[in-house]
Amino acid sequence: MADTKGVLLPAYVLADESGSMGPYQGELSDGLVSLCEGLRAEPMIAAKLRLAVLGFSDDVQVRLAVADMRTETSLPQVAIRGLTNYGAVFDDLLDRIPSDVQWLRGEGYKVHRPVVFFLSDGQPTDGKGWRRPHAKLIDKSQTPTAPNIIACGIGDAQAATMVEVATRPEFAFVAKPGTDIGQAISEFFHALTASLVASGQALGSASPQLVVNRPEQFTMAIDEVGQ
Amino acid sequence: MSPHGGDGSAAPPLAPSLSGPEPWHPVTVGVPGPEFEARPPGQYAFDFPDSVCDGWSTDLLTLRFASVRGAKHRYYRQPRQDAARAAVHEATGSIVFAVADGVSSASSSEHGAVESCRAALERMLHLLSGSQGPLDFQDVAHHAAERLRQLAQWRLGGKAPEPAEVARLYATTLVAGVVRPDRTGGSVELCRIGDSGAWMLEPSSGRYHPLFDSKTGSDTVLVSNEVAPLPQVPDRLEGTTARLSPGQVLLVGTDGFGDPLGDGDGHVGSLFARHLAVPPPPLWLAHVLDFSRETFDDDRTLLAVWPRATAEPR
Repeated sequence: MADTKGVLLPAYVLADESGSMGPYQGELSDGLVSLCEGLRAEPMIAAKLRLAVLGFSDDVQVRLAVADMRTETSLPQVAIRGLTNYGAVFDDLLDRIPSDVQWLRGEGYKVHRPVVFFLSDGQPTDGKGWRRPHAKLIDKSQTPTAPNIIACGIGDAQAATMVEVATRPEFAFVAKPGTDIGQAISEFFHALTASLVASGQALGSASPQLVVNRPEQFTMAIDEVGQ
Repeated sequence: MSPHGGDGSAAPPLAPSLSGPEPWHPVTVGVPGPEFEARPPGQYAFDFPDSVCDGWSTDLLTLRFASVRGAKHRYYRQPRQDAARAAVHEATGSIVFAVADGVSSASSSEHGAVESCRAALERMLHLLSGSQGPLDFQDVAHHAAERLRQLAQWRLGGKAPEPAEVARLYATTLVAGVVRPDRTGGSVELCRIGDSGAWMLEPSSGRYHPLFDSKTGSDTVLVSNEVAPLPQVPDRLEGTTARLSPGQVLLVGTDGFGDPLGDGDGHVGSLFARHLAVPPPPLWLAHVLDFSRETFDDDRTLLAVWPRATAEPR
């Protein structure tokens, strides 16, 4: 008999592993550990999420494949390398997300619109090349599984770029000027965990909404662009 | 799946000297969710008990409903935000009913759910007394929306609320309807605002015929997140009619029931087809509805109407 096993939210964390993140590798690793532990502490929420962690620079490398965090024992390990190729991210997600959704559906789950948390400390090094795969990725007519994208910029990443990457202006954030980047990374993961837990609580209700918490020390990027 | 525990083994008696009926064991379907003692909701949620049920029969129809708090709300100390109400229109013997699912992002959605049910029932009873024609559900929905607005105005100390303020306090889905009995069963009229569902169940075949489109149908790639609940009333209300014939059961449920049911061809569908073949005791309906299944932790409400010719209630 065909039963619905559950309704899941696939969540993708895209972590910038480019060379300029080198000094902050410790905070990046610690943030990922706290994310995993935070979800394990909420098994009822974690049951409704599937988490993937992807590191990006010149290309995208899988640090954690779509995982059930109640049972996943490995911790994602980041590797600092290369440049900041945004295009590689969106090209990868164009293949990965529809494939993951199809797999989850094949396993007997219904699937909510996926969510991508994008963290970068730099401007794209591939110029405007990322815009075409990005546009295709978020166009629901071309990509039925088009994700919601939350974009957080630190260091050299500019507010206007984060607004372009995010799927809604209120989903784009940049660290306040002068913020310690290591601390901003920690705050990003803190807000990410809280957002996933809150979204998980709203799943399966009359109005399953994506809840996005603004990280401490960040401002909404659209406010910066407007200044 | 077992209504008497997952492994089929009998639980030990509470005490050796006790005799009499065995306590009810949890109903599990597939992998159960975590077991824990329910935590209390907030201190002012005392008007919204964990579980409620009701059941009675007229000469021609039998009604049951149950509404149970989901595991998520039991754990995170939230009240049950689902509601249901049913009444008989005495002049015609019709049963009017309403099922509501308060939107979790609304701060007092448990009040919104109950009040929208009350308002819908009052209006349907009023309309049935005035006309034998089809129910004007637009009128019913606007009446329920107006009730939420009035409630918000009272809450805000008399200040006229914006629609967004009403929604922030009391947003809720609503299914409202009537079953008018006749010699061959009954005619059903329904409307809905939001994503709660209704089905016609044939227990003998185990088939569930959805009376509204599903948000989680097997043909949809992703679950839709777009719900337009009360106090919004669309210009074209979603409504439907159906025949309730002997051998069928009309079901109205919130998505806490509809999501695990899916297309009805799995274990959850089989469980309810079996337990609803004849009207169960109301308390038993609540117990079965409180089944445990991993990831399905929302409040659940299910209302069912049988033609009396189908089977006598247990």
